[in-house]
Amino acid sequence: MTDAPLDAPLILAVPSKGRLQENANAFFARAGLPVTQSGSERSYRGRIAGLPDVEIAYLSASEITRELAAGTVHLGVTGRDLVEEEVTDFGQRLELVLPLGFGHADVVVAVPEGWIDVATMADLDDVAADFRPRHGRWLTVATKYVNLTRRFFHEHGIADYRIVESLGATEGAPASGAADLIVDITTTGSTLSANALKVLTDGVILRSEAHLVASLPANWSGAARGALRTILDRIEAEAAGRSLREVRADVSDAEGAALVAADRFGATTPFGTSKGPLTLHCPAGKVYQCAEWLRTGAGARTVTVSRLDMLFSATSPLTAHLLGRLDAYTG
Amino acid sequence: MTVDTAPLRILLSEAGYRFVDPPILSDATVFLEVAGEDLRRRLYLTSGPDGRELGLRPEFTIPVCLHHLASGDAHRVADYAYIGPVFRHRAGASGEFHQAGVESFGRTDRATADGDVLALAIDAANLYGVANPDVRIGDSLLFSAVIDALGIAPGWKRRLSRAFGDPARLAAAVERVSGGTTAGAPAHAGFLAALDGTDHAAAHRIVEDLLSIAGIRSVGGRTAGEIADRFLEQSSLAAGGGLDARARAAIERFLAIEGRPDVALAALRSFAAEETLDIAGVLDGFEKRSEGLARRGIDFSRLHFSSGFGRRLDYYSGFVFEIHDPDGIAGQPVIGGGRYDRLLPALGARTSVPAVGFSLWLDRVKVTS
Repeated sequence: MTDAPLDAPLILAVPSKGRLQENANAFFARAGLPVTQSGSERSYRGRIAGLPDVEIAYLSASEITRELAAGTVHLGVTGRDLVEEEVTDFGQRLELVLPLGFGHADVVVAVPEGWIDVATMADLDDVAADFRPRHGRWLTVATKYVNLTRRFFHEHGIADYRIVESLGATEGAPASGAADLIVDITTTGSTLSANALKVLTDGVILRSEAHLVASLPANWSGAARGALRTILDRIEAEAAGRSLREVRADVSDAEGAALVAADRFGATTPFGTSKGPLTLHCPAGKVYQCAEWLRTGAGARTVTVSRLDMLFSATSPLTAHLLGRLDAYTG
Repeated sequence: MTVDTAPLRILLSEAGYRFVDPPILSDATVFLEVAGEDLRRRLYLTSGPDGRELGLRPEFTIPVCLHHLASGDAHRVADYAYIGPVFRHRAGASGEFHQAGVESFGRTDRATADGDVLALAIDAANLYGVANPDVRIGDSLLFSAVIDALGIAPGWKRRLSRAFGDPARLAAAVERVSGGTTAGAPAHAGFLAALDGTDHAAAHRIVEDLLSIAGIRSVGGRTAGEIADRFLEQSSLAAGGGLDARARAAIERFLAIEGRPDVALAALRSFAAEETLDIAGVLDGFEKRSEGLARRGIDFSRLHFSSGFGRRLDYYSGFVFEIHDPDGIAGQPVIGGGRYDRLLPALGARTSVPAVGFSLWLDRVKVTS
């Protein structure tokens, strides 16, 4: 991978349609990386304003997964379900950099509601083993998640079944007789119940959401690494800003209060404790307890809490970790 | 890596086995039909011009069986040997490697045939420098005889037999059919309690009727009758109709028996006597096989019987063995073998055909030149 021109740009693959695209664009905009489609609405290339070393490629989510595995794009937004399904050695080839907080969906094993005797994978194992002697054929599972299904059924010791590959409307397979049960993706479960299917209690194969994924085998030129630093820096700043609140309080013993706040609420003191009111960065979920304690326990008369748009740190664990993996990757 | 196979060819030929060379590329369906979907992830698959799914052979036993079936009466006595490449997806290892082995069909003197094949396997391992092999043997017929003799209900017997060969899974199955974990039952507990005491046929009709009244639209390929069957099976578990304490204790005691074949046999006989289980028939077979091994001069201190050792593939039907090299990689036997009387019927023979064989992993032996 040394033959990459030093100035070859970083290619960031973004979903080309639907909710996933809207959510991905909104995410990048929040992180100060506004994505603009070049030329017409139907162009498949784009840019990020102010970052000349980045090219956007609009692809379908499953194409993004395959291109990441092949190393033809550097970064991409895709679902964890697709990564685990389509790239068997994804742990070696890809880095799941960051969950993005959208595109939530579960990959589940669902059987007809009429199977009142089947609630767990162990029940299904029973049914599968009896099925062939009774019916002279294997129990069939309709799915597009062939690899995930095989792996999960193997973990549960189920061997007596066959997969019927399904490319759409999987949930209709049991009713139409195309298969006996399904493995499919669900967000609210309403499509499953509309088709009289139920999820087995231990039948959740994977809780998926959209991730920012990096390709280790891609050509990481100097320019691409530079662009990666900028992108991750902004994404991390946004993510940190989202998860923290700035808390200010006029306590008398700033140093002592900071120690307790760190211990009880995981709060940090980004600017030290030497002057002015105490400034803390507190995890969003602990803000109310923290504000309470600052008044009742540390004698503060006033506590203010504000949202942080962005938080830039001198060190970037995400970038350091990913660059380390890129350097270690030998293909 | 090349392993010298000339001495092995001589050994197997002189033992009366005729070498066959079945096709490398063949219809993949047959492997999947026999072994199930789980094999698919290890098969090298492609498709023919007519869209038929073809695969590279992942092993020799099925191709040799097909050759046997295609070339005459399935029940005739025939002894085959093979050496050649097989293909499987293997993480971190080459997908192409060589195996050698034998398949012996049609011998009705099963105990003697089992002994012959194991003795030959030990000789084959010897050729490759495994001078002090660690031989593990098992026999699923013993387990089947024990659960038969305990009078366990057919539904539970099926579950236990299926888990046999995987200690953790078998322990879980024993726990389950003892009513230790009644997951799922609470959802219908009230209904099950109402059915309690109703005779089975009536209860069955009630459940079937309910399914149809509920207008259940989709049951996949299962019938309301079989759903009712299993549902009532669970209700009997929930009501304490699973394994009783005595059966459970006997199974656990049986599974703990292991050791040299002669020592294990004595332990099995006293187990049967104390638990008053009539399993004399299979014990006699076990004894006959052991005698055969002793006559061939096989050192019993090399043999280790475990009553829980078996393979979970459906077609294995009794005696199984593995030969390990004490200096080799743990968990990777150099030779695996056993009896599989149910395979030829699964491939088209009308009735069960005696079949026993072994296969030697040529990629696991030391290169001796």
